[in-house]
Amino acid sequence: MAAPPLVLAILLAAPAGAPPPALSAVAEGLGQALGPPANGRRGMALLVEARAGALVGPAEAALSDSLAHLGYSVTPSRGGPEAESTARAAGQDWLLRVQAGLVPGRREVALVGELIPTWDSFFLQRQAGARARAPRLVQARGPADPETLSLGREERPPGSPFARIRTLSRISGRVLALAIGDAGDGPAIAAVTPDAVLLLSTTGREVARREPDRSGWQRIRDPAAMVALGDFGGGRLAVEQAGAPQAEVLARNGDRLEVVATLPAAPVCAAEGGVRLFGAFAPGEGLLLDELTPSVDPEARPRSDRHLFGVSAAPQGGPIAFAALDSSLALTLLGPDLKPAGPPIPGVGVGFALADLHGDGTAEVVASSTRTDGTDRVRVIAPFAEQPVVLESPPLTGAILAAAGGDVTGDGVDDAVLALVSRESDGSPVTDLLLVTADPRELP
Amino acid sequence: MRAAFVLAILLVPPVPANGAARPAYGGEIRVLVSSAPRVVDPALAINSSDLMLVRALHSLPLEIDGEGHLSPGLLEEVPVPEAAGRAFRLLLRSGLRFADGTPLGAADVAASLGRLLSSGSAHAWVALPILGADAFLDGRALVLPGVEVLSDRELLVTLAFPMPEWPFALAAPTAAVVSRGGEGAGPFRLKTLDGSGARLEVNPFHWRGRAFADRLLLKGADARAAARALSRGEADLVQRPEAFAGARSCPPTPPLLVTVAVLNPRRLGSETDHVRNVIQSIDRAELARRFARGPSAPMETLVPPALLPAPGPNPRPVPAGDGARPVRLALLALADAPDQRAVAGRLQVKLFDAGLRASAEVEGPSRFAARFGAEDYDVALVAVPVLSLAPSLAAGQVALATRGPMVARRVLAEMAGLSQDAAFARAEELTRALDLVPLFATGERNSAGPGLEGLRVFADGGFDPGELWRLEGENR
Repeated sequence: MAAPPLVLAILLAAPAGAPPPALSAVAEGLGQALGPPANGRRGMALLVEARAGALVGPAEAALSDSLAHLGYSVTPSRGGPEAESTARAAGQDWLLRVQAGLVPGRREVALVGELIPTWDSFFLQRQAGARARAPRLVQARGPADPETLSLGREERPPGSPFARIRTLSRISGRVLALAIGDAGDGPAIAAVTPDAVLLLSTTGREVARREPDRSGWQRIRDPAAMVALGDFGGGRLAVEQAGAPQAEVLARNGDRLEVVATLPAAPVCAAEGGVRLFGAFAPGEGLLLDELTPSVDPEARPRSDRHLFGVSAAPQGGPIAFAALDSSLALTLLGPDLKPAGPPIPGVGVGFALADLHGDGTAEVVASSTRTDGTDRVRVIAPFAEQPVVLESPPLTGAILAAAGGDVTGDGVDDAVLALVSRESDGSPVTDLLLVTADPRELP
Repeated sequence: MRAAFVLAILLVPPVPANGAARPAYGGEIRVLVSSAPRVVDPALAINSSDLMLVRALHSLPLEIDGEGHLSPGLLEEVPVPEAAGRAFRLLLRSGLRFADGTPLGAADVAASLGRLLSSGSAHAWVALPILGADAFLDGRALVLPGVEVLSDRELLVTLAFPMPEWPFALAAPTAAVVSRGGEGAGPFRLKTLDGSGARLEVNPFHWRGRAFADRLLLKGADARAAARALSRGEADLVQRPEAFAGARSCPPTPPLLVTVAVLNPRRLGSETDHVRNVIQSIDRAELARRFARGPSAPMETLVPPALLPAPGPNPRPVPAGDGARPVRLALLALADAPDQRAVAGRLQVKLFDAGLRASAEVEGPSRFAARFGAEDYDVALVAVPVLSLAPSLAAGQVALATRGPMVARRVLAEMAGLSQDAAFARAEELTRALDLVPLFATGERNSAGPGLEGLRVFADGGFDPGELWRLEGENR
C-alpha cells in the first residue's frame, strides 16, 4: 500500500538520516536508563522490532546514536529469533532487543528494551548458550511528534474495512454535544448532558464534571449545547447550553470542572493550531443562528435566516476545514476562510463530525442518518471521492445526536466519537459513545 | 395506579424516539379534526376538537406520560398525599408566565379550580372532591375553603374525603390554569377563531420552552375532505374516527368517549327495569363494532373498560324478558354525533322487538341540553369524553354529565381509593343505582402526513401540540 501523501511529505521534509526529534529524545531516555558500558563490555548487537515497519529504521538510528554517545559499539542486528545466538557467535557482549511503538490513546512513543548478555562465561562454558547474568529490562517513553506518529502508524491489515466502529463507554443521560482535544494534560473527550459537563479520558472514563446551576435559564424544549476543547484563555474547555445566559470556560481541578471565565458567544468548535469558531443560539431555540466568527464578535450578524443544528471543525484543518448542518439537514462544507469548499451534502443526520480518518490531509464526514424510526446508522462520507459513502454501519438502536472528531487512539490520526442515545428499560436516556477509527491496531 | 398501568399496556404502543433528526423549528402544523373547534375555555370544552384546542392553548398542573403515570407540568413535582389522602400541597415551578407575559401564580391555580364549579361548567368533577365544594356550588360559600394559597408558588388543597388518586384530576385538560383575563399558558396562543377553525401562534413563555412550530392550524373536516387534504399534503395530521388509506398510522386515542343510555325513572315508572333489561340485552360488542367508526370497546359499568376492565369474563347478556307491553318511549339523541344517531336507530329496533315503541328524537346540542336538563325523555343517549385515568374520577365525570353535581360528588366519594376489583363491583352497583346502561366506549385514530414528527400520544389520548414539527423534503 502506498504511503499516504501526508506521511510522504513529512518524510521528505525531514533531514536525511536524522530520526524525528521525539524519537531521538526517547532513544536518549532509553540510553540513560541503560547507562554506560560496564566492565569494558562495549560490543552491542541492536535489534529493533515494531509492529509498524516504518518505525524500525528510524528507531534503530536514534538508538544507535544514543548508545554510541554512551560508549557502546553498536551493530544493528537482523537476527530475528536467532538474534541472541548470532550476537554470541559474532562475539558481541550484549544484545539489546527493543520493541518500539506508540502508546495507545496517549500520542506517545515507547521503547522497551531487553538487555541480554551474550559473552561466554568461563564458569558456564559447558552449557552452550548459557547467559553470564540475568537479562535486564529498560524502558523509556515520551511525547510523539507528528513525524513519529506517522512512522508509528501500523500497516492496515490486508482486506480490512475502511474503519471500525466500537463502543467506547456508556454515559447515563442524553449527550447533547461532544468535543475531542487537548484538555491541558493530554487528549480528552468533553461531553455535555442536560445536567452536567463531563471530561472523559480517551477510553471514555469520567475524570471530571460540573453540574451547572440552571436557575434563571430560559427553558428550551429540545435541549442543546455547544462544546469545544481548545485554547480559550484561562481554560481549555468552553461550553454553552441553549438557554444559559452565557458560555463558560472551564478548567479542571481534580475531579471538578471549575468556571474560570465566561464568554458572550457560543464556542461552536475548535481545532489544532488555535482554530476556533464562535456563534450564537437562536433565542428560545436549540439551534444556532447562521453566524460563525473566528473570534468573539459582539457585532456579528447572521449571514442568512437559516438555522444550524451544529458546526464541526476538521481537527487538523485541510481543504475541508469546517462543516455546518442547517435545519433542512443539508451539510455545507467550508474551507479555512469559511467559504464553501464543495457542494452541500443533503440528508446528513444531526450527529456529524469532520475527521481525517486515513490521515490523507482531507477530512471525511462521519455522520448519522436522517431516519426517525428509532434506529440509526453511522456513515463515513468522503466528499470528493467518486463513491462518497465509504462506510455504512448496520442499523443501530437509538439515535446519534452528537459527534466529534479528533485523535482518540493516539496514533496521530483523527478518529470520531459519536453519541448514540437510546433508552434504558426504565425509560431513562442513556448514551453509548461509539468510536469510529481507522487505526490499524483497531482493525480486525 | 393500577388502572392507568392496565391502560398503558393495552393501548399505548411504545413510541420510538426521534431518530437522528432533531426537531426543526418554524413553519405551520395543520391539524384536521371532526368539527371546527369553537370553545377555548377549559371549563366548557367537551368535544374532542375543543379539547384539542384547549390542550394547545393551556398548560396543566400535571401531565400524563406515555405509560399512564403522572409527571410534573406547571407543578414542580407530583404532589404526595397528606392527611391520609385528604390533602395535597401543590408547588408551582418558578418563573411561570401566561402567554401574554403576565406571571402565573398559586392564586391563578386556586381561581381556576374554583371556576370549574361555576354554573355552566361541564367539568366540576375536578373540583367536586375539594372541601366545601358543595357549599360553593349551592352559593352558600363565596370561596372554596379547601383551597388555601400559601404563597406565590404554593397552595394547599384539602378534600372532603380521602382520595389519594385526586392528582389525576389535575392532569385533565379541563384542569388547565387560566388567567383572570382568560389567557392560557399553553404552547400556543390564539390568533383567530372562526367557523372554519382556529389559528394559533407560538407562545414564547411556555414552561417547557417555545413550541417547535411557529403556528398551529386546527380545522374541522369531514372524512372525505380529510382524506383529500392528507393525500395532497395539505394536512399534517388528521384526528377522526376513520383510518385513511396511504396515511402514516399513528397510535390511536384510547376508547374513552363513553356512550351511556340514561333512563328516566320519573317517566318510565314501573317500566324502568323492563326498559333497562331490554337495552342491557343488546349485544354491546356488536353495537360497538357496527356503529362506532373509531376503535371501540363494549362497556360493563359507567367506567370505560380501558380504565377498569372486568375482573372476569364478561357477563352474559340479560334476557329481555317476555310479555310485550304497550309502552311508547321518547329516545333522545344528539344530532351532531353520527355514531349516536345510528345507535339510537338500533335501540329503536331492539325496543320495538321487545314490544316497546320508541321514537328516536334527535336534537341539536342546545335543544338536547334543554330537554335533558328538564328530564324531557324516557331514554337519552349521552356521550361523555372521560378525561381522567383514575376510575373514580371517570365515574364522577360520567355521573356529573348524567345526574348532576351532587350525585357526582357522592359517586366520587364512594369510588375513591378503591382497589381495582372493589372499584369494579362498586361501579356496577352505581351504574344500576344511577339508572344508566353503559353501551360502548370509542376512540379516534390519528393519521399523519409523511413529514410529521413528534406525535406522542399520551395514555389519556392527548398529545402536546408543541412537540409537533415537520421533517422536510427528501429527508422524510
